[in-house]
Amino acid sequence: MNTFKINQLIGVAIFLFSVFVAVPYAIAASGRWDFYYTLTSVALLSIASAGVWLTFYIGRINIGQGAFALIGGYVSAILVTKAGLSFWLTLPLAGLFCAFIAVLIGLPILRLRGVYFAMVTLVLTEVSRLTMLALPITNGAKGIVSIPLPGALSIFGLTLIPDFSMLKNDKLAFYYVACVLMVICFAGMYRLVNSRFGHLCRSLQQNEELASSIGVNIAYLRIVVFAISSFLGGIGGAMFVAISQSIYPSSFQVSDSINFMLNCFLGGLGYVFGPMLGTLTLYFGWSLLFELGKYQLLIYSSLLIFLMLVLPNGLLSIRFSKMKGVQK
Amino acid sequence: MEQVIVNALYLGSQYAMIALGLTLIFALMNVLNFAHGQMYVLGGFVTYTIYGRLGFPFIVALLGTAVTLAIVGALIEYFLFRPVIRRSVREESTMLLAAGIAFLLDAVILLVFGEKQRGVPKILDGVFNWDFRIILPYDRILVCVLAIMSIAGFIAFMQFTKTGRALRAFAQDRVAAELMGVNVDRYSMIGFALGAMLAGLVGGLLVTITGVNLGMGGPVSIKAFMMVMIGGAGVISGAIAGGFILGALEAVGLAVLSQYGDITYLLIFASLMVFLSFRPQGLMGKPWG
Amino acid sequence: MNPLLQVKNVTKKFGGLTANRDVSFDVEEKEILSVIGPNGAGKSTLFKMITSFLSTTSGEVFFKGEKISNLSPHLVARKGVVRTFQETTIFKSMTTHENVIVAQHLRAKATLAGYFFGTKAAREDVKKFSGTADEILEFLGLDDIRDEIASNLPQGHLRALGIAIGLATNPTILLLDEPFAGMNHDETMHTVGLVRKVRDSGVTVLLVEHDMSAVMAISDRIVVLNFGEKIAEGTPKEIQNNEKVIEAYLGSEDITIGI
Repeated sequence: MNTFKINQLIGVAIFLFSVFVAVPYAIAASGRWDFYYTLTSVALLSIASAGVWLTFYIGRINIGQGAFALIGGYVSAILVTKAGLSFWLTLPLAGLFCAFIAVLIGLPILRLRGVYFAMVTLVLTEVSRLTMLALPITNGAKGIVSIPLPGALSIFGLTLIPDFSMLKNDKLAFYYVACVLMVICFAGMYRLVNSRFGHLCRSLQQNEELASSIGVNIAYLRIVVFAISSFLGGIGGAMFVAISQSIYPSSFQVSDSINFMLNCFLGGLGYVFGPMLGTLTLYFGWSLLFELGKYQLLIYSSLLIFLMLVLPNGLLSIRFSKMKGVQK
Repeated sequence: MEQVIVNALYLGSQYAMIALGLTLIFALMNVLNFAHGQMYVLGGFVTYTIYGRLGFPFIVALLGTAVTLAIVGALIEYFLFRPVIRRSVREESTMLLAAGIAFLLDAVILLVFGEKQRGVPKILDGVFNWDFRIILPYDRILVCVLAIMSIAGFIAFMQFTKTGRALRAFAQDRVAAELMGVNVDRYSMIGFALGAMLAGLVGGLLVTITGVNLGMGGPVSIKAFMMVMIGGAGVISGAIAGGFILGALEAVGLAVLSQYGDITYLLIFASLMVFLSFRPQGLMGKPWG
Repeated sequence: MNPLLQVKNVTKKFGGLTANRDVSFDVEEKEILSVIGPNGAGKSTLFKMITSFLSTTSGEVFFKGEKISNLSPHLVARKGVVRTFQETTIFKSMTTHENVIVAQHLRAKATLAGYFFGTKAAREDVKKFSGTADEILEFLGLDDIRDEIASNLPQGHLRALGIAIGLATNPTILLLDEPFAGMNHDETMHTVGLVRKVRDSGVTVLLVEHDMSAVMAISDRIVVLNFGEKIAEGTPKEIQNNEKVIEAYLGSEDITIGI
């Protein structure tokens, strides 16, 4: 037990070191500044994927995260441009708004299971895109552009985050912010899954009827989990908007929702850090294939299908069979 | 008013055909076919090639499309779904496979046909005009009639042929059908081929009116999912009802709401939410769990 | 004094089909009451209505004088009316011990957020649950398989685990749905012993069962259903000699042993 804990600590230390020290150093040495954008994207996408993973954890296939990323993005963009709020204030607001929407929508649809839930959430993604096209406040297909960079964040005169437009290297700054958010998100997820909260989620995933017969308020728990999931989606979306300084109805669409789900599945559904691993693999895989030009999508999808044929139960299914071997 | 009803019929007939294919595949194999919209697009491009580029008669192009898509569907079932269904433990696996196939078809269409919007010459000229109360181009009327004929043909096939009856038995109760000696592998393949063929045929019909482009796949799948949810998954009558209901809602929405911006789909979705909270299994679906 | 559980004129219709018609009976504190009847007599439907997994078409169920029909299942469980399932329903990918820990949800003092942040109440809960789970496993003789993944367990153990999950909720009345189905004689007698032990610890037991010899051995009183209606009620002896019951059982195809 003790050695296990020490190993874990070492693992976390290595991870934090490589994210916050080694990677920036390596990028500075190699001069591949474009990697910052890639890695920042991975960090943010893995936050949104973590939300999807959590809904998987209560036994629901969620293909609606694109909708919440889009909504979160728009909330932040509108509050910054129209109401003149500081980005750092809009970030939690975007998450909370998404959580609120999730509660409204979740009340009816979380009763659905399996393929049915998957279908509704997928439709939700498309509907949110169409809504953003139609609403007057979102400025239709033209989107919202030239959103100012995040300003300074200071509490009681102490500057926590400097004004991004004053920075020489805002790429690095965004990278740090994204990584900090990712670390907080996954630390929270780890805590959640390993607490009694996570236990209850698993009871839901395995048998909802039994869970309710032992007194678990399954409807409430489902809503809470879906709200947390959508909160993460909104945070991810809002951060993306801050980086790209623009948002369009097509910024997050059906294929993004599907990719969030793929990230979780590839990373493994039984493992908290799965979404991070899956996002890294898929996003880097996709970027590496960029060199192949118009064959990119063909090779990417063929690889995906090939992977499903070889490992129909996910990447980490290899890992799990090995783990079991060690335990016995 | 009359115009709205006619528009609803016109939209509903195509939608019902799309939903039929999706629900058939779902009923037989419990697979949610994400690639359904891509099959529609592929159908459109095949018709475009045979009719628009090579100059064969339209009806030949439609037949060619049906055959091509049936073959594509059968191959996908045989080489991809069958091995994965056999070995996977979770139902998510087939969904992911379907998503992968959607990407793959997109890639293939991109490489073979390019990403441009393609259209074909009109199959019929002229506009039907009844006292300015109903205005409908003749080619739309023809497409609508062909779609309704296809649906009727499909229903007749399911009701009156031996294969159709076996498919229905299979869809109702897989285990019982197996015990009665229905060859599961064979009928999965036939069912998938039929589903793909229906999707392709609608694509082929509509290429004459809206043209076809690579980006249409996703939205078509989404609409198909909505119809299936309205009508109830895996039920043929439900798919047809869902198709016509969505068609009607869209036609009404276009007529009434167009001046308020395109919030038709937001309203349809909101009503779908309310509807599903009362009837999660859809209009004609069986209750589950 | 009021009986612990009262079923009053309960009727359930599915479309044109009547699953239960006007069923009434009482369950007294600390007794073992069995509901029996041929296949399709509406026993399971009745069970689901008592625990609010199904709503009643008409009629009511009272627990300690409080109406409990047509609520949410988890609220009924909170009041102390807990059911186990006909199929061996357990949390399959958890260990035996984890199953019983999760099932103690109703004894929890902390909130969800409390568990997340690890408040004092939450830490105490977690500690207590682990201990109670061990006690329950020992009580039912399951301590040997404490750390086995539940899906690997043999059937007899699964049934006992089902009872353990029920007990973990600290029920006043435990409803067992066919606890002896599919068991051989030895397993049945073992489980009969467990159910008695549960009752002796102060829990009232209501069970639905098919296996006559077990029912006759275990029950204080028996209620007999046929075609959804109550046809008899009484001690095992009275039931064995009741003509209507004999007719119902002989008239149906399955002539069960014991009568």
